[in-house]
Amino acid sequence: MRVFTAVIAIAFGLLVLLGYFLPPTLFPTVVDLQTVLLNWAVILTGVAALVGIFNLIIVHTDKVRRAEKGSVYSALLVLSMLFTFAAGMLLRPDHVAMQRVVLSGIILPVEAALMGLLVVSLLYAAIRLLRRRADAMGIFFILTAVVIFLGSATLPFGDIPVISTWIRPWVTQVLALGGARGILIGVALGTLMTGLRVLFAMDRPYGGK
Amino acid sequence: MSAIDMLDLFSGGLSFLFTVLILSYLIGDNPLFRIAVYVFVGAASGYVAAVVFWQVLYPLLVLPTLSAIQSASLAQGLYVLMPWLGLILILMKVSSRLSGLARIAMAFLVGAGAAVTLVGALTGTLIPQFNATIDIFGGAVGKGGFELVELLFSGGVVLLGVISTLAYFHFGAHPKADGSMRRLAPVEILAWVGRIFIGITLGVVFAGVYATALTALIERISSLINFIASLFGMF
Repeated sequence: MRVFTAVIAIAFGLLVLLGYFLPPTLFPTVVDLQTVLLNWAVILTGVAALVGIFNLIIVHTDKVRRAEKGSVYSALLVLSMLFTFAAGMLLRPDHVAMQRVVLSGIILPVEAALMGLLVVSLLYAAIRLLRRRADAMGIFFILTAVVIFLGSATLPFGDIPVISTWIRPWVTQVLALGGARGILIGVALGTLMTGLRVLFAMDRPYGGK
Repeated sequence: MSAIDMLDLFSGGLSFLFTVLILSYLIGDNPLFRIAVYVFVGAASGYVAAVVFWQVLYPLLVLPTLSAIQSASLAQGLYVLMPWLGLILILMKVSSRLSGLARIAMAFLVGAGAAVTLVGALTGTLIPQFNATIDIFGGAVGKGGFELVELLFSGGVVLLGVISTLAYFHFGAHPKADGSMRRLAPVEILAWVGRIFIGITLGVVFAGVYATALTALIERISSLINFIASLFGMF
């Protein structure tokens, strides 16, 4: 089974990869095969998501059954999930009632309010950073954040000269650009290496050593 | 009052209630906050499950299967047979005895996903970012005077930022005479410069996220006020 799964991962991975690199005019079959394989992958990803949600139900119903601490919250989670799923299956997710009640009534307000809570937690985290780690990176981090805030602030007398017109644009468009580009390239190189390790079966996240 | 107005009122009431419950966290972790979070997780996962069915499984699996049954076509049958087989294998993950068989479907998913990710990283990030770094210097061609100096200086700073940031994440080390492991001196110096660039970049990101969070908080407070105002205007 260990070798079989590795062969499947390598074979299908290479077929999908070939579809990207071979010209479709010369190798139409490979590109068609890639489309079919990606469609199957989308279907299986959807099924895997459903299995994950089903697992969430199992875990929380188990908590309710055992009357563990916080089981009331678990019961609420299961009830709200079943209600939303049943309504979504009956009405479809793009129905106006689903959009207004579930999306505009629960999901979006909770997400926005949680984002709003970040105002307090981020401020607290920044203060903790200054107290615990006052090294070069920490000092430049706080100084930059302060410069960006001052440069972006809309004040009664208008923009702050020099900071708004010269320092802030230069920091964001030159200094931060260099760092961001370095981080992005680093992340992409890491992703590339991880993909290659999976395709060469050096990493087997699907199971097997 | 029409059905849509009733729905809007109900949605506004729910939105008001959940915003208050979530913002109650400002006074500390409490049962009201937890109720809101658990209901949110339940509603969001139920919604995602419905979206997965109607927007992925129904058009890509259910409809082609019905079509294959109606047409009795062998090619169509084979096309839908494989995903059904994968579906059955993934569902075996639920069973502790048969979960090993789910690895076959997972191996297919991981292989295809790795290929897509690899190409995405290459064409979506690496090549465009390298090109953009080079293009800064390309823009200096034909320019003169202060503009040329400014472009070359900015391009040089960006290039230094890219190289030093990458050097910061280079963890290859060599053993010293005393047995300790150290990076090469040039890499160590570049990595120190890289720390400053990373600090500045994270500072800019922090300021952006903070501004977004502040906007979200103001929007939520404004929605609370508007809902109360509309209630008083209505009744």
